[in-house]
Amino acid sequence: MKEKVGIVGIPPLEIIKELHRKKVEIIDLDEPQVQASLELTAAHLPRVYCAILRTVILNAMHIELDRIYIDVGPGKCDCALHVSIILKDMLSIPIIPTRNQDMEGLGFPLCRTRMPLLDKMLTITKNVRSINRDEGKKYPSCPPTAGFWGVPPRDFNLLTLFPDTTHIYGWTRCMENKTPSDLSLESQINPGVPTVFFAQSFCAKTALARHLADRHPRGLYLDCDVAAGSSARAKIEAFFELSGTPVLRKEKS
Amino acid sequence: MLLADFGTSYSKILQTDSGKDPAIVATRDIGPDFCADLATGHNAARRSARSINELTALARGGEILIEEDDFVLLDCGSRDIKFIRYHQGQVVDMGWNAECGASMGFTIEMLATYYKLDYSEIAIPKTGFSITCGVLGMSHIFDAVISGASEAEAVAKFVRGIARNAYRFAGSPDRLYLSGGLCDNPLFTGSFPCNIVPLGRFVLLKGLLATLESEQNKE
Repeated sequence: MKEKVGIVGIPPLEIIKELHRKKVEIIDLDEPQVQASLELTAAHLPRVYCAILRTVILNAMHIELDRIYIDVGPGKCDCALHVSIILKDMLSIPIIPTRNQDMEGLGFPLCRTRMPLLDKMLTITKNVRSINRDEGKKYPSCPPTAGFWGVPPRDFNLLTLFPDTTHIYGWTRCMENKTPSDLSLESQINPGVPTVFFAQSFCAKTALARHLADRHPRGLYLDCDVAAGSSARAKIEAFFELSGTPVLRKEKS
Repeated sequence: MLLADFGTSYSKILQTDSGKDPAIVATRDIGPDFCADLATGHNAARRSARSINELTALARGGEILIEEDDFVLLDCGSRDIKFIRYHQGQVVDMGWNAECGASMGFTIEMLATYYKLDYSEIAIPKTGFSITCGVLGMSHIFDAVISGASEAEAVAKFVRGIARNAYRFAGSPDRLYLSGGLCDNPLFTGSFPCNIVPLGRFVLLKGLLATLESEQNKE
């Protein structure tokens, strides 16, 4: 039977290549994989905690895995380091901490192409499991009219409020580039376009997001926990409307 | 055109061609068939042909009512607080707090009714409770009353704490333009540690009107 291996964050490319060689099924535990309440994680984590890592615990509680690679280095966060200890005590499978310090960038054409932001984000997060470079020809660059800086949100619905010509910055760009610990790339901003600086509530990246938003001439800091509520959605809508950035409304793809 | 700002407790309604001032009605008294042409606020999408979100309406209203290029405008509603900050005529920051700043206006009104208080007769206290929302702040009132404070003193400290929290939420500016029903509450407006310019209850309606006029000018 095919092995099932969970990953948290972005383990080093060598590990992903090894998993590909062994033809295992890779499951991204950062993303919601099961239909169960996050409240179930309260036995293992405080309720007031990063929703992504609560999702990791929820997935680990429900999916039968053979082992988990969890990145705990500068490309992820200290919280992941602590969660790795919790996972070790929770589960009887090997929990393997990694410290991804890959600096050989594979490029980030998706971050700069014209495409609904939701689809871009889905493609980038799906590619965490891949070892291939994104094709620049397939995803030509477009001039940006807006920016999204940050990590992939727990609630992808808020991405439907952005124009298709939104460029992605921050850790998501590092993610596509396969260099999650590249703080220099993560800190890059584009002062020429109105940018939403997003971080998950209770995440250490809220500090960097707010700092960069303060320095940006048209930056909006936004943090959300599990779901993007009506006030978060209204902030994004108003921000683009008042910035004169047209957003074509369409249904979620 | 019928414009409406649907608040959680009160709605502000303006018939643009009537020549009359806007009307303030309790939201619960508005019939289920009421439908505005353009609206903002609570359930506006369901109660109007077209709606814009409250931050946009607040900003548009501020642009009409405030002459400066740099300003902070804070709207204190029954259920939430929201602000918009302009720098050199452009929006540079905004916030909407429906959770930690929840139920401020509603709680302040409810306390006056419950304790039979007139806010215009209560002195502004020198100190207040450190509170972030109406719900969590209630226990401070009960504790203070049990400790011997008068009900009016306890509520005054509560209102001061709410005002200071709203001030910090808006970024602690030197001057704060204030929107919403609490503009008429002297205890609340006097509790801010900065210059307050009350703009009244119709700032969002002004924003709707500005949106309407801007669209008509484009046609």
